[in-house]
Amino acid sequence: MIDMSVKIGPLRLQNPIMTASGTFGYAEEFKDIIPLNQLGAVITKTVTVEPRPGNPPRRIVELNNGMLNSIGLPNVGVEQFIIEKLYFLQSLKTTVIVNVAGKTGDGFVECVRRLEDVDGIAGYELNYSCPNVKEGGLSFSSNAATAAQVTRAVRRVAKRPLIVKLTPNVTSISEIGLACQENGADAVSAINTLVGMAVNVKTRRPKLATITGGYSGPAIKPIALAKVYELVSKLTIPVIAIGGIATVEDVLEFLITGASAVQLGTVNFYDPGASVRIIDELHAYCIQHQLGSLSEIIATLNISR
Amino acid sequence: MAVIPLNTHDHQPIRLCRSEIVSITEIAWETFVLRLKEPALSQNAHPGQFVEIRVPRCADILWRRPFSIHDADGEAETIDILFHAVGRGTEALKHLQVGDVLDLLGPLGNSFHIDDHLTEAIIVAGGLGIAPFKLFLRKTRQRNVPTTLFYGVGKKEQLCRLDDFQPSAQVRVSSVDGSVGSRGMVTDLLIEHLRTVPDMERKCLFVCGPTPMLRKVQEIAAQFQIKAQVSVETIMACGFGVCVGCAVPMRFPDPGKKEYFLACKEGPVFNMEEIIIHD
Repeated sequence: MIDMSVKIGPLRLQNPIMTASGTFGYAEEFKDIIPLNQLGAVITKTVTVEPRPGNPPRRIVELNNGMLNSIGLPNVGVEQFIIEKLYFLQSLKTTVIVNVAGKTGDGFVECVRRLEDVDGIAGYELNYSCPNVKEGGLSFSSNAATAAQVTRAVRRVAKRPLIVKLTPNVTSISEIGLACQENGADAVSAINTLVGMAVNVKTRRPKLATITGGYSGPAIKPIALAKVYELVSKLTIPVIAIGGIATVEDVLEFLITGASAVQLGTVNFYDPGASVRIIDELHAYCIQHQLGSLSEIIATLNISR
Repeated sequence: MAVIPLNTHDHQPIRLCRSEIVSITEIAWETFVLRLKEPALSQNAHPGQFVEIRVPRCADILWRRPFSIHDADGEAETIDILFHAVGRGTEALKHLQVGDVLDLLGPLGNSFHIDDHLTEAIIVAGGLGIAPFKLFLRKTRQRNVPTTLFYGVGKKEQLCRLDDFQPSAQVRVSSVDGSVGSRGMVTDLLIEHLRTVPDMERKCLFVCGPTPMLRKVQEIAAQFQIKAQVSVETIMACGFGVCVGCAVPMRFPDPGKKEYFLACKEGPVFNMEEIIIHD
């Protein structure tokens, strides 16, 4: 029996395969497609205090080995989330983490405070870094001082574990990560999408209605690996890797680099069976390499010359 | 005019299938019918629903490609997909071989609502917009709903064989260059027809085609006070409600709360009066 479980601060997951926010709905969308209880954890689509209609189309663009999106966090709001979406999530045996965003720091606090009242949630992931939301004029994780302030404020109301999702669109991701660590984050997840753009050369118009959007998919994996490497080198709290992960080899690369767990994102759109297949393949890898537990491979990157 | 409640299939399970190719036939210029062995889907597919197909052996093509279910034959246990080889994905599909196995997700989306009391179902199809209507005609034939098909193409070479449609419907064809049927737009034929027929209350338009045609039909439907259901085509990354990329603007939004439908979950079939048709 191989121990596939991983520890992320106070959280223990049955395996390191999580599904990234905004690529997995509220899990119910996958109920006929995969056995959801095999997943390490599910992270919901972002929930905000007030409902949001999202951005106008066109919202997505397919690129070679990647895509752009500018969805704009459409969601029914936290009250309707509790009424409509939570019941199914509570029925799952796997770990459920709710991704939360706010227009202001108070928005994050209010949303988390409301969710603290309900059962079936194991923790929160704070979405400081959606590149597609303009209002508020503040991107919480592009500035260490604001990241620190919001993390501290949410920490005060949250008894459950807190993960902060970091943007790569900054000069130093580890500076922001350290600010979150010092102010009570239990873990960080990285990377959110990179700011990107595409132009239609016939019409000379941007392909996305919002001009720029978030770039994701297999193409961004090398960038994600470098950012995760930077974070695990500088931070003491666990790092959850996100960015273009689509195969078991990708997962192993991030675990070896030092990630405690990984999130599958864009791959869920085009290969919805990928998450559970990768769990099986990871298990097979452990058998093949005679590992007693998966943790034996984490942070084993050899950088000696 | 009351809004028609559309058929939803929320309780129909979405399955990931491995479907073997039975045949690939070129039936018009760069236009192919892909026939797949699909025992389950062939029994329970509804007209207007679609499937998402992963393009094999093309690792750099990221998304699946959505296709209307063109036909479903429960006895032969096959479904048909109609596609035009226009982009990288469809270009790769046309080179597949009989016996190849495709990774397919479906059935997806809602379907056309065919009221039993209709005195006439009027199909308006432009180009590849003919795709959902072969299965549709199976249903109207089964239920004895008189059906008229207005089918417009650019030129003769693009026209799919009519013997698929003629036994089940009165067919009128138009082409932009006049090489087949009447010269002009399919919407001209529609207007001509609607001017001559009474009883709009018990007729309904069923529409699929390019955006300019949809806009024109939307105007015509309003002018003649006739109900219209449209199957929209949008870009989508997933097809089952998680990418949220396939937003269709609502004509009557709830501002700040709900302003868009999702084509994959709440569509692809909409009451035409309830959406804004955009590029």
